[in-house]
Amino acid sequence: MSQLSNEILLALDNAQNSYIHALDTKNMDGWLASFTTDGSYICIAAENEANNLPIALMLDDCYARLQDRVTYVTKVWAGTFEDYQTRHFTQRISAEAMGNDTYKIITNYHILFTPEQGQTNVLVTGHYDDEIVLGDTPLFKSKKAVMDTNVSPRYIVYPV
Amino acid sequence: MNAPEKYSPLVTWPAKVNEIPKDIFFREDVYQLELENIFYGPEWHPVAHTGELPDIGDFKTINVGERPILIVRGDDGEIRTFYNACSHRGNLLETRVSGNAVEFECPYHRWLFDIRGDLRGAPGDDDFSPSYCKEELGVPTIRSAEYLGLIFVTCSDETPDLDSYLGRVKSALATTFNGDGRLRLLGYQKVLYDVNWKAYVDNDGYHAPLLHAAFKLLDWQGGKGEQYATENGHIGFESELKVPKGTDFLNDPCLLEFKGTESSKGSAIASTFPITVITKHMDMINIRFAFPRGVGKTEVHYGYYCHEDDDDEMIKHRIRQSSNMLGPTGLVSMEDASIFHRIHLGNHTPGNVTFQKGVKHEDRIWYDFKQNDEAGNLPRWEYYRKTLGFNREEA
Ligand code: FES
Ligand SMILES: [Fe+2]
Repeated sequence: MSQLSNEILLALDNAQNSYIHALDTKNMDGWLASFTTDGSYICIAAENEANNLPIALMLDDCYARLQDRVTYVTKVWAGTFEDYQTRHFTQRISAEAMGNDTYKIITNYHILFTPEQGQTNVLVTGHYDDEIVLGDTPLFKSKKAVMDTNVSPRYIVYPV
Repeated sequence: MNAPEKYSPLVTWPAKVNEIPKDIFFREDVYQLELENIFYGPEWHPVAHTGELPDIGDFKTINVGERPILIVRGDDGEIRTFYNACSHRGNLLETRVSGNAVEFECPYHRWLFDIRGDLRGAPGDDDFSPSYCKEELGVPTIRSAEYLGLIFVTCSDETPDLDSYLGRVKSALATTFNGDGRLRLLGYQKVLYDVNWKAYVDNDGYHAPLLHAAFKLLDWQGGKGEQYATENGHIGFESELKVPKGTDFLNDPCLLEFKGTESSKGSAIASTFPITVITKHMDMINIRFAFPRGVGKTEVHYGYYCHEDDDDEMIKHRIRQSSNMLGPTGLVSMEDASIFHRIHLGNHTPGNVTFQKGVKHEDRIWYDFKQNDEAGNLPRWEYYRKTLGFNREEA
């Protein structure tokens, strides 16, 4: 891995922080705004990933479907589920330049959830496999959330 | 069918057929009786589809009730089913959920089994008990049968043959599996719901257009169809396939397209007693393997499949649709997952729950229903009651 400047690493971390902040504040427009307009998002169990099984939990492989995921959460599902608060914790593990201001970064994540009744538990844990483009605002060209938690402890409303 | 003669004093069942006592959803003593009489009794339980184990040595592990099961394709191409336990002192033989093996070695005392389950070697066997017989100490087997590639196991010798056991619900299964069952696995979504297994599987025909806002937003009406039940607790839904009309509230309607061919009987659900649900909606072929993890938890493995004859475009479409529509994060089913938790909490209150929609009689059971009747679940409840030997109160 070539040495990246602190400035670049900071910009990459800022992108990740805005992403998780949008999710923890249930700001789905902010979530969408963290992707490029050719961006994609996939959330998949590590078991499927390891066995080359393509079924995901969320598979937004074009921008239109990223937009639709905002609609699912804010319009389709609103008022039908017992809500919960998430708290994402991340740690960057590696970052690598791919050219054209694009960087490939691997980040561990750990997400806790607190339902309305107040007891906190682990939602899922795993790693992000991301491509970030550094421009005026650093944005995700692709984000893949691979979940070690092959058996999730409940329904998942918000992206991971 | 095989209702035990023995009466169980644990629960007195309400007189009306549309009332279910709530305490059966959280009572530990009832759960233990269910394991014995239902999960380990004369019932067939789907544990895998042959499409999950295409190659020699492919294996899968899962539970029936709380008993661990191992399913393996042997070097002769044959799929065999076992209890997942070493024949020596019972150590869990395989810890992975799936994979490919050339042999199974129990690490405890290094007994070695081949992929047909036969014992090949046991260290120090010149010093074993007088009656030790290598040929009799293969991995313990469990009785199995297959219908359109769906592999069932049963813990009991008394279970009737699979064909008569499935009865009318075979028709819904055939629709689900494209008629021939030549499926290939695309992957799983797995979740552990905080709900008693019976409330998980008691999901009904009444709620669909009401709970799931997607149906209204998409102007998605069910096609003409029927719901039926069997005397031994299975439920079938078969209907004309209808695609949503109002897809303009989505930016990418491709998720809601139907790319298959026939549509006269394009949608089907086969729910086999006690806990398995198998569905085909649009281009999604879905088997929901499930088992209880104690009285208050139910683990569900949503397996998704394509057909062996699909071209690349069709496979991609199935992957996209299956990943986003069903399961614990699905556009049209996330709400079910949320309801499971709530209904389990609410069931910890006194009294009975009452079924209303489609209830024509309160004093007897019948077997044909409209698609959006919740009464379709009542024959299953009657079979459950008889299987556990719970007497009805006098009317
Ligand atoms: S328990 Fe398996 S070898 Fe002893
Ligand atoms: Fe539902």
